[in-house]
Amino acid sequence: MRPFNTVAAELRKATTLPAVWAGIAVALFGSAAITLINAFSTRAALDAGHPEARAFTSPFETAFAAMPLGTVGAVVIGVVIFSSEYTAHSVEVGGGRQITATLAAIPHRHTVLAAKATVTILLVVILAAITMPVTVGIARLVIGSAGAETVPLDDAVERCLGGAVYWALTGLIALAITVLTRSGIIPLIVLIVSNSLVSVSLLLTNLTPLAHWLPDMAGRRLFGGLHTVEGGLDALPGALVMTGWAILLLTIAAVVLRRRDA
Amino acid sequence: MNLVRIGNVIAAELDKLRTLPAATLTALGTILTGILLAAALAAADQHVEATATTVTLRSVPFVQVGFVLLGILPMAHEYTGRQIRVTLSAIPRRSILLAGKITATALTLVLTAAVTGAASTAAAALTLRSLGAFREMTADDLWHLAGTTCYLTLIGLISHAAAVLVRHLIPALVSVLGLILILSPLLAGLTEHARWLPDRAAAQVYDPHDTMLTAGTGLLVALAWIVLIAATGATRFIRRDP
Repeated sequence: MRPFNTVAAELRKATTLPAVWAGIAVALFGSAAITLINAFSTRAALDAGHPEARAFTSPFETAFAAMPLGTVGAVVIGVVIFSSEYTAHSVEVGGGRQITATLAAIPHRHTVLAAKATVTILLVVILAAITMPVTVGIARLVIGSAGAETVPLDDAVERCLGGAVYWALTGLIALAITVLTRSGIIPLIVLIVSNSLVSVSLLLTNLTPLAHWLPDMAGRRLFGGLHTVEGGLDALPGALVMTGWAILLLTIAAVVLRRRDA
Repeated sequence: MNLVRIGNVIAAELDKLRTLPAATLTALGTILTGILLAAALAAADQHVEATATTVTLRSVPFVQVGFVLLGILPMAHEYTGRQIRVTLSAIPRRSILLAGKITATALTLVLTAAVTGAASTAAAALTLRSLGAFREMTADDLWHLAGTTCYLTLIGLISHAAAVLVRHLIPALVSVLGLILILSPLLAGLTEHARWLPDRAAAQVYDPHDTMLTAGTGLLVALAWIVLIAATGATRFIRRDP
């Protein structure tokens, strides 16, 4: 019963944080808006009879181009679930930090971290379960029958699941780094940069093939399709490597959280 | 009288920035990142006719992240504790305070951008020379370097304007980074109108490649964005409770 109560408490805390809802809104509405623009220009190219002007005309690929915004949402959720614990309250209410109340209520620190990790996974998976069907639905509605769906259904489901796993693992890595830094600045910068086109790990692959084993490069084939760069790990081994990174960072976070003053 | 006053405000704000560990660390970290990236890029690009300038230009999309943070911190740190109340007690005229803060931030940004550009170019030149791939630089290269200084300052000012508007660090950081690193490349692949986004327009200053905007008009578009965002933020800052 105890672990369940802890998860319920952490879930309540997370869903009452405005920043978590902002992260969800970025992922959901941001992806939906990008998909709308993308789908309308695909539709226009198809109607004008120039499908070759677009990189792809399949509704699924059109929707999946917006996936990086979902990753930003997952990063924000992972970061603020822990960084909010360390934000100082206003002076009028004593200027304390949430973490002292949290640890007074649940003195077993590993339980706190495990509950927060569970909540992160839960929120990100729910976010993925809403965002992905919504964006694919928007793309299908706008493009309609004009563009042939070139991605078979089982492939699409597989890539959605892969994308959700990538988001969840990124959220966990964000959570672990936030525990170590106690502030959201570094994890936000590192993870948003590494999921953008100016990714440092992508740059490092030019210098050494070892960079393909960094978490974001290892996991990128989970999305399948267009976002791939030559070389590197396949989807399954890549997912395992990324999971390994998440577990490693969470373990370090657990040890540090346990041994350090709050 | 007023001139002396705003001079004092700028001096006070510069003092605050100098003694804010996060700001100093960000500036130093950005310069160091620029040096390391330039050396790494020079090593990766040595066979493709790279000069120290082309290498520095390639490192700009990475080091701009440091300028985003450096632009946000001067405003966001006021709201992490009760600093803003002390600041407003000392300088009750909010418009003067804001003008001083923006000027101090701009000065810091220009200085950091110039040092980053010079240090990155020096690091790239040294790396290329040690690899035996060094090419002489021309007067054009100096203009490109001035352009990167200008671009990095503009990115910092856009971030500062966003921070004036939303006040807190995490929302400002996420929205600016999301705009320049995720949204703007995504939209650029979808529609040509993405050229009007602040970072795309500002990029014309150091890398003019657009069919419509030039370095000058790009600069104007970026400045218009900064004024628009900062004016909205300033109205809020002046009229509302801190």
